[in-house]
Amino acid sequence: MDDDDEFDWEAAVHEIDVACQATAATVVPTNSYCKQDIFGNVDEEMRKKGKFDAISSAPSTRQTTLDRFMGAPSCNSRKFEEKAEISCGQQRMGGSIGESICQETEKLNEFVKIDAEAAKTWIYPVSVNVPVRDYQLSITRTALFANTLVALPTGLGKTLIAAVVMYNFFRWFPEGKIVFAAPSRPLVLQQIEACHKIVGIPQVWSIDLTGQKSPSRRAEFWKCKRVFFVTPQVLEKDIQSGSCLVKNLVCLVIDEAHRASGNYSYCVAVRELMDAPTQLRILALTATPGSNQKTIQHVIDNLQISTLEYRNESDWDVQPYVHDRKIELIQVSMGDEAIDIDSLLLEVGRPYHAQLCLFGLLPKRDIKTLSPCDFLRSKETFCKKPPASVPLSRHGEFMGYFAALVTLHHLRKLLSSHGIRPAFEMLDEKLKKGWFARMLGRNEVILKAKLIMQKTISHGAPSPKLTKMLEVLTEHFKVKNPKNSRVIIFSNFRGSVRDILDALKHIGESVKATEFIGQSSGKNSKGQSQKIQQAVLEKFRTGGYNVIVATSIAEEGLDIMEVDLVICFDANISPLRMIQRMGRTGRNQEGRVDILFFLSVAFACRSYFSLVLACEGAELRGYKQKQANGKTISKHMIHGGTKSFNFHPSPRMVPHFLKPELQFLEMSIEEFVPCGSKAKDSEPIPVPAYMDKITDAEKDLLAKYFFATQEDAWRPSLIAFPHFQAYPSPANGVLHSSRTQLLIDTMQDLQDLPYSHDRRPSAEDDVVPDPCLRVSKVEPHDNVKEDSERYTDPAEEESNREAEESGRELQVTVKDVQSEDSHKPKTLLHTFLFASEFVSVDSVGNVLVLSLPQVPLDSSSKRMESRNMASLDLSIQERMDCTEIPLQPIENHPLHQRATEETVHEFSVGDLFSEDAKKFDEAKEILHSPVSSRMQNEMDISDQDLIDIYLSPRLTNLIKSGVVPESPINDYGTSKGNRADDLACEHDKKEDINGSSGEMDIPCLNDNGIRTTPLDCNTVAVGACSSPVPVTKELRTPVTKLSDTSSSKDWIPDCGVQPKSVEQPFKFRRLRKLGDCNRKVPTESRNSTGAGRKYVSRRVDHHKSTKLLKGEKKQAKGGAAYIEEEAEVSSDAMASDDEEDVQEDSSFEDSFIDDGLNPTTSNTQAGSTRVDMMAIYRRSLLSQSPFPRPPSFPTNHSPDSVVQSSKMDGSGSSTGTGRDDAPQAGIESTARNNKDTCNGVPTEMLESRTDSRKRKLSLHQAHSLPMLNLDREFSLLSAAAHENSTAHETMEETVDIFEDDDFYEGIDLDALEEEATKLFKKKTECSTEKIVGSSEIKEQNLGIFDAPSFDLGF
Amino acid sequence: MEENTFDPDLIRAIFKLVWEKRSAERERHQLSENEAEAGPSTTKRSRLLTVNGNALKLSCELLRVFVAEAIQRAAAIAEAEGSLKIEATHLERILPQLLLDF
Repeated sequence: MDDDDEFDWEAAVHEIDVACQATAATVVPTNSYCKQDIFGNVDEEMRKKGKFDAISSAPSTRQTTLDRFMGAPSCNSRKFEEKAEISCGQQRMGGSIGESICQETEKLNEFVKIDAEAAKTWIYPVSVNVPVRDYQLSITRTALFANTLVALPTGLGKTLIAAVVMYNFFRWFPEGKIVFAAPSRPLVLQQIEACHKIVGIPQVWSIDLTGQKSPSRRAEFWKCKRVFFVTPQVLEKDIQSGSCLVKNLVCLVIDEAHRASGNYSYCVAVRELMDAPTQLRILALTATPGSNQKTIQHVIDNLQISTLEYRNESDWDVQPYVHDRKIELIQVSMGDEAIDIDSLLLEVGRPYHAQLCLFGLLPKRDIKTLSPCDFLRSKETFCKKPPASVPLSRHGEFMGYFAALVTLHHLRKLLSSHGIRPAFEMLDEKLKKGWFARMLGRNEVILKAKLIMQKTISHGAPSPKLTKMLEVLTEHFKVKNPKNSRVIIFSNFRGSVRDILDALKHIGESVKATEFIGQSSGKNSKGQSQKIQQAVLEKFRTGGYNVIVATSIAEEGLDIMEVDLVICFDANISPLRMIQRMGRTGRNQEGRVDILFFLSVAFACRSYFSLVLACEGAELRGYKQKQANGKTISKHMIHGGTKSFNFHPSPRMVPHFLKPELQFLEMSIEEFVPCGSKAKDSEPIPVPAYMDKITDAEKDLLAKYFFATQEDAWRPSLIAFPHFQAYPSPANGVLHSSRTQLLIDTMQDLQDLPYSHDRRPSAEDDVVPDPCLRVSKVEPHDNVKEDSERYTDPAEEESNREAEESGRELQVTVKDVQSEDSHKPKTLLHTFLFASEFVSVDSVGNVLVLSLPQVPLDSSSKRMESRNMASLDLSIQERMDCTEIPLQPIENHPLHQRATEETVHEFSVGDLFSEDAKKFDEAKEILHSPVSSRMQNEMDISDQDLIDIYLSPRLTNLIKSGVVPESPINDYGTSKGNRADDLACEHDKKEDINGSSGEMDIPCLNDNGIRTTPLDCNTVAVGACSSPVPVTKELRTPVTKLSDTSSSKDWIPDCGVQPKSVEQPFKFRRLRKLGDCNRKVPTESRNSTGAGRKYVSRRVDHHKSTKLLKGEKKQAKGGAAYIEEEAEVSSDAMASDDEEDVQEDSSFEDSFIDDGLNPTTSNTQAGSTRVDMMAIYRRSLLSQSPFPRPPSFPTNHSPDSVVQSSKMDGSGSSTGTGRDDAPQAGIESTARNNKDTCNGVPTEMLESRTDSRKRKLSLHQAHSLPMLNLDREFSLLSAAAHENSTAHETMEETVDIFEDDDFYEGIDLDALEEEATKLFKKKTECSTEKIVGSSEIKEQNLGIFDAPSFDLGF
Repeated sequence: MEENTFDPDLIRAIFKLVWEKRSAERERHQLSENEAEAGPSTTKRSRLLTVNGNALKLSCELLRVFVAEAIQRAAAIAEAEGSLKIEATHLERILPQLLLDF
């Protein structure tokens, strides 16, 4: 036994030692961890240390006890052993607690990570409307780092402080949760809005949680939201239920903190939070911390406050912001009856009082001076310890006396503060039943009093207070506009609320009064649900009511700006409530509080107006006393209350090494969206049963259109597609009503649709056309094929095939575009529909593509029209062929046929074709201005949209080309031999295109740049022969694409150039064939083309060209200069050649700079500006492509080349612009790059655009002249133009393909450049032709407008 | 009238839902109008909650025709656009005329 004991002893001691060591070990590292811990902070450390101390001290004390045991000779070693073991266990526990705490701190840091970056600053919002107030700033600063009780007079912006603190915690702790607690639901809703307006915490993160939301929903919100506006009860419940994620809380704001006493939810919640292993900031706000030192200390204790920020209205930093608020005491005499009754009631009480005094149960004072408290206290003491002198038998009697006295006192109070009626009602009630009736039922005095009351009431004489109040009100509304002024009348009793309301009913129109009372329903009146309260407040705010008669419910926090008069119907309430009441007014303007007393002395206090209706002596006395109380309290509060109050340590929350700096920030705050309808919130939305039955896809669909949040829920728009309303939509079972027709007519009228009337079909037509069209469509296609087969040599067949291929390619490209488009349904424009239609048709047959869109568009498409369509298809096909092998006669035959068919068209344009070129020119001129303006519009549109839009116009162009070409085709047929004529025709066609585009544009302009295909379709009539253009374009695009893609990204000049050079001849073989046939190619032109190529390559290579430039020209100005120049040039319609040259130079330079990236480039001069220029270059590329400006380059060369180049320039520009403007301009802004003057990309500036327009016009004019004069030259020119146009088209196409979302990305630019180079080549070719043929003309024409360039040339 | 029309029960349920919403709205409106003196629950009985059987049948058919027409028209647009799915935009395009037609 002894041995055993000894062994146990040793073991126990050993164990204890180990345990102690372990504890120490854990404690020390924990502390050091805390110190090292980034997120730890001193306060927390302190706390923890405290805890650890307690923990580590626990074992040591145990040990002493152990020692004592050891020292003590004990026979009962067993017992001791057990104890030792227990202590060991406890020590271990202590150790583990230490560890767990350590873990918890870790956890804590995990839960609420601080954003170190954000924590470098704290943000204080500044805005024009809300100037920074020093006191708010300093209080906020304090509140950020310590638990603070802010005691600030009402209306001075406590909410702002709270909001700023919340916002900063919101920033600092990206995962932290922030809670704002306000004592009532209306307040919660008000504060959530106020906070939002101050700092703009995103509404997605904030939510109001009140008792109206079910706990389960609240639990969800606690998880997903971060800022909560709650009622304290909800907070308490959710903390207790665990749905509130206590660990994530970083900040708790408590509004109206003076309520935190006893077991109010605030206290419970805070206690719970303090028990939780979290740190959090507590910010308590109140205007009235408490009526005495003790209550304030309670609040401080309950809320773990460590700092008190108190401001008084007289404090220097607050004073400027205190609105003048006058408090006026109006004393009203009670009236004789009331005084009589009062004395009677006193008399009734007197015997009881005397009885009680006899036994020493009541202080022997006059019964008047006794307060109900006295009675109650005495009663209590009597119950607890009845004096021996009182016989047991009389205990019940005495209790009765007390009760009677209390009741009587209450009656008197009612009488004094509210008048006779409430008192009478109460007395009546009391006398009907119960002990009071039994005791006093036969008391004559009381019956007498009752009689007097009854008499007075039946007299109808209103209470003097009421009378006075009415007076005050009428006066008030005489002074203030009843619409802008708001009045709150406070009364403690609902009975008097009703009285007041009754009285107010008679006051007149200007007073719109309602009651505002609590929820509980009494005997006489029903309470107001919070919903109704909310509605009342809303109407009060908006002006539906201008007077509310409220009980104490309205005292706190309601922030109604316009309230400029508060009438306190009863004054004998706590100063706290008085202050709160008065705080309802003077919030942003002067206001006054009228306190209506029943008495006869009036005095004004503070600087503001108040009306108190007070009753005789007692009431006034009470009021004065309580005011005095308030003043003594403020003494306690001075100096942050450090002398008077005990404060609690609080965590700093932000680690000390982070010292947030103040940063003023102007908030951009989104519009506050009041959270959906409250009614909906109130009922939890159960997951509908059908949700189980539907598929995920269906759920998605539902969510998309129905369950989305209020803001982005899809709502069908009736005005989204105005152009669709200009044509009847295809109807099926239900035909269009007359109203629909009316709508359509109106829309057409509004949109200025020229062909509108013809278009409107009968419903039958609508239904029919589709099959019709299809048939016709197919047929013509076949016809074409047959025709071509019939008439073509094998070689031509080949070409046909090629055409087909190209058609297919076109399809592909279009499809590409379409698919891209379809990805963004939002940007879908009406045009798109048609575009896609085109495409769909595309997929069916190769060239037929374009005809289909007309069908739906021409809702009126009759058989005839469909026929036409067919012809169109054919013509398109023909066009294709033409473009491929323009000179082949075989094509002409079918075309011819078509043409005859097409003559049926009412399209005037077709006729025009046969007419003089003059007309065309004129038309073109006329039409151009709209075109350009259209261009502008389009440019304004965002690129993506543009791209979408572009598609359709291009297609429409095709259509046009298909439709119109008849006449030119006819020409073809008739004048086979005359190539020049043919070319002229082509040219005409092109011009027609211009015209057509112009027509198209006019409506477009109306649409603010949004182009609609229907319009385009209307203009189909105006077709032109641009068909070759698109075809070639389509053909080329794939190829170019490939090359582009290959070269674009790497952007190695050589590589880029070479594929191009290879491609170019390849692609344009056919075209060239045409060109060769037509023109007599001079050697010079060859040279020039060669030069052009060189130029291209140089441009790509850049260093070469730079050298050239160096040699002949001064180095161009810097990038900035360049931009300026550009602007100048662009703004100047008649830009001189010199300027252009400069510009070109600079642009070249830019490009060189771009190439500076290239290792091969050895351009040192450009290198200096290189860095900056990159961006500029990009821009310049977009805004104005350097490439289309050949002339400058040739100038560098030999004189010959100079001449050529200048001519080139002229011709290129003139022809290019001439035809470019028509379809391409509209189609593609990027196409603009081709032109010297035109800047194609949407980014370009307005000036440049306008300028380009001007230039174009001028050029056109110039251009038109020669056409009239010299057919031959012109034809050549046109051929050149044709080529140009093809080039343009290709460019466009490629760009189209490439530019979508990433319009500005390098790839596109590269592609653009490449295209531009190609184009340039073409231009050079063209120019050479022109030089040969039409130099004179150019001289004439261009001399007019483009004089400088010509001067250069010659 | 086709056999294959909407389920009358469904339509009635929808109608009821709408009516209830409407009346709730109206009530809220009135409440804020003449307000608190009257207290809550003033006009609860003034709700229309029933529908005649034939009227319901007719409504079903009307709705069916309406929906069918809307779908067909929107489908025409969607098809023309090459889309296999009727999207909201398609509906928007035909909506004004559709509404006027009914």
